[in-house]
Amino acid sequence: MPDTKKIRIFMTGVGGQGTLTATTLLAKTALSQGLTVTSGEIHGMAQRGGVVESTVLIGCKSPKIGIGEADILLGFEPMETMRALPYLRQGGLVVSSTEYMPPLSVAMGKQECPTIDDIRKAVSTCTDKVYFMANQSIGLEAGAVQSGNIAMLGALCAAGELPFGPEALEAAIKANLPAKLQAVNLKALELGVKALNS
Amino acid sequence: MANPLLGDTPGDTHLLLGNEAIVRGAVEAGIQVVTCYPGTPSSEVPDTFYRISPDGKYYFEYSVNEKVALEVAGGATLAGAMSMCTMKHVGVNVAADPLMTLCYVGAPGGLMLLSADDPGCHSSQNEQDNRIYARLGGMPVLEPSSAQEAKDMARDGLLLSKKHGAPLLLRTTTRVNHLRGPVEFGPAPAPGKPEGFKRNPPHFVPIPAFSRPMHVRLMERMEALREEAENSPYNKVTGSGEYGIVCSGISRAYVADALDNAGLADKVTVLELGFSNPLPENKCLDFLKSVDTVLVVEELEPVVENELRVLAQKNGLSIEIKGKDVLPRNGEFDVTMVENAIREGLGESPVPTCECSLPELPGRPPNLCAGCPHRGTYYAARKVFGDDAVYSSDIGCYTLGLLPPLQTADFLLCMGSSISAGGGLAKASGQKVVAFIGDSTFFHSGLTGVANAVFNAHDVLIVILDNRTTAMTGHQPNPGVDKTVIGDNDHPLDIESAVRGLGVTEVRTVNPFNQRKTMAALEELGGMSGVRVLIAKEPCPLYTRRVYKKIAPQVAYVAESCTGRFDCLDKLACPAMYKEGGKAAVNPILCNGCMLCLQVCGHIKAKKRGS
Repeated sequence: MPDTKKIRIFMTGVGGQGTLTATTLLAKTALSQGLTVTSGEIHGMAQRGGVVESTVLIGCKSPKIGIGEADILLGFEPMETMRALPYLRQGGLVVSSTEYMPPLSVAMGKQECPTIDDIRKAVSTCTDKVYFMANQSIGLEAGAVQSGNIAMLGALCAAGELPFGPEALEAAIKANLPAKLQAVNLKALELGVKALNS
Repeated sequence: MANPLLGDTPGDTHLLLGNEAIVRGAVEAGIQVVTCYPGTPSSEVPDTFYRISPDGKYYFEYSVNEKVALEVAGGATLAGAMSMCTMKHVGVNVAADPLMTLCYVGAPGGLMLLSADDPGCHSSQNEQDNRIYARLGGMPVLEPSSAQEAKDMARDGLLLSKKHGAPLLLRTTTRVNHLRGPVEFGPAPAPGKPEGFKRNPPHFVPIPAFSRPMHVRLMERMEALREEAENSPYNKVTGSGEYGIVCSGISRAYVADALDNAGLADKVTVLELGFSNPLPENKCLDFLKSVDTVLVVEELEPVVENELRVLAQKNGLSIEIKGKDVLPRNGEFDVTMVENAIREGLGESPVPTCECSLPELPGRPPNLCAGCPHRGTYYAARKVFGDDAVYSSDIGCYTLGLLPPLQTADFLLCMGSSISAGGGLAKASGQKVVAFIGDSTFFHSGLTGVANAVFNAHDVLIVILDNRTTAMTGHQPNPGVDKTVIGDNDHPLDIESAVRGLGVTEVRTVNPFNQRKTMAALEELGGMSGVRVLIAKEPCPLYTRRVYKKIAPQVAYVAESCTGRFDCLDKLACPAMYKEGGKAAVNPILCNGCMLCLQVCGHIKAKKRGS
């Protein structure tokens, strides 16, 4: 394996969103580029509706990302982006969804989620490299709400911080996803790249 | 096409979960018998063996509990079969009785015990360090730190176990079980047939006269294994410098990345112990002599640290050994934590931290799923008994009943304890006790609790939450299920008959989604004394969708007449419900159509799904 710059990607979302599928796809993409890759996932009691955190690390041995260690934070849900902010290193890259999946206490009207403005403000104290996108809407436009995660991976690959671009992800989708899911996810990838550049 | 994990395709590289890599390693060793009780973070090992079992050349079973699983694997290895038994760390407590003596009796066919420890309690009730069991019983220990090592150590561990006839511990931690990394395959030859049992009572029957020499043989075996550890490629020294680090398990990955980050890789000498028991004393002694300070980096207990201290003392070395005085004895490590410990030892300043501060955010605690039948049972129990009963809980999804508003879990010890500890509490205090236990847990160790309660005339109302599967760990079958992902269960055990067979006379079975009948049964049984059993029987909705391929034809919706009283939300806490514009609402995508909420509020109605 070639000596590569270490890149630590922290991904967070809500159980059932497909966070782990996206994690594995990104890890496979990195592997297909001949990079040393390790990924990790933590899901115990919080499988459904709880927070799911996962990691992809390029050029590292550890599968874990500690506080202040992430070069990239990928938030599939905006409040989870904010919760995971301590994992980001100063000046790291953030790609986040703007569309909420409210937890029970919010659905019950007992608590409120921070606004997107609150979240932007919090993120801006750590970094100015931030991309927000309407993950679920883009997914629906592509044909399936879960493909919004692939749109976000597409945006990440287009942001220029990884040692590969969207075409590597495109190849990984073709190589790893079942045929019937490919068209939707390739469309999502394209929309994600577009959303980053708009 | 057979699963790639079974193929004889050396040189192939696959991105595997640590747990899948363990399966591949066992296949490469020629595994013949696999037993388990599922427990996170070990579950994907047996689940993978199970899923690919139609094409595999091994026998696989989900055993009813860890003790039984280890005994089945123990019998198999005595018959010369290469055997493996998997469980989570607390499962080893259940299996500890046969384990301690299996180490005396030995494992002619090879026997590897996978103990998946859980530093950080990601999904467990404690953080116990099972490397200590290996010291107690006398087992060699391998501790992988990557997917590749998980595969290689599973293979090499089984072969080593067979070579020495020594039961071996493959000790992982959650991070290793649930990491993913590239794994290069080796050859996977066909395992062939086990040799069969060779009668030899002095070796295999531990009556005292035979046990004493068995203990001597065990110690001799461990000395032979110490030689193996001295020469093992899993124990290696890298780098140079007078500052030494000794590390094992996943900590080896943290140390490597920390040294790399800090640019210190060439100033530090590292001894990695992947084969950590028995301690390779000569290798360790040479290492201790080559450095002037040692930092031991191991999660949880100071196991290696203490052994090194003993070794240094025995050999008159006055070397400084650090470990648990600078790194925590609880929880997981991470790279920065390890880097800072190394920096401190070298007199360097710590890694700068980011000072971002966040407001308190709404939590996202785990919750019983929409349509979970336990919600119906708990709602009824709370309605009938309120705070007048003490709720004794057990291990499973249903432990989530502890959260408000249901609050039906007041205490918990371990698998199967709800019945016995509930009985004890009632005996001691005279308080009314309702004990909840799931179907899988009932077969695991609830049966003996029922027998004990009947025999000792305990006063306890037992509620068996029978959701027709082992839901929490990923829908594994148990003796009561009638269907599994790979076929029907030909011999489903009937819980009601089992309970009656154990001498309980007052037994009722209800569907917990029928609130009227469930409450009536709870009231009736609640008014009696002695051992009474309510079986709340209704399949897990996720299992229904996956295995029975059924979806409820109807969903709930909130009628215009809703008065905004929010009893439904406040008392059921169903994740499909939310508040909108002063009224309650149901998300039809999340609603599983259980129709429990209709029985709580008349303003909630049913409609056809999709209409």
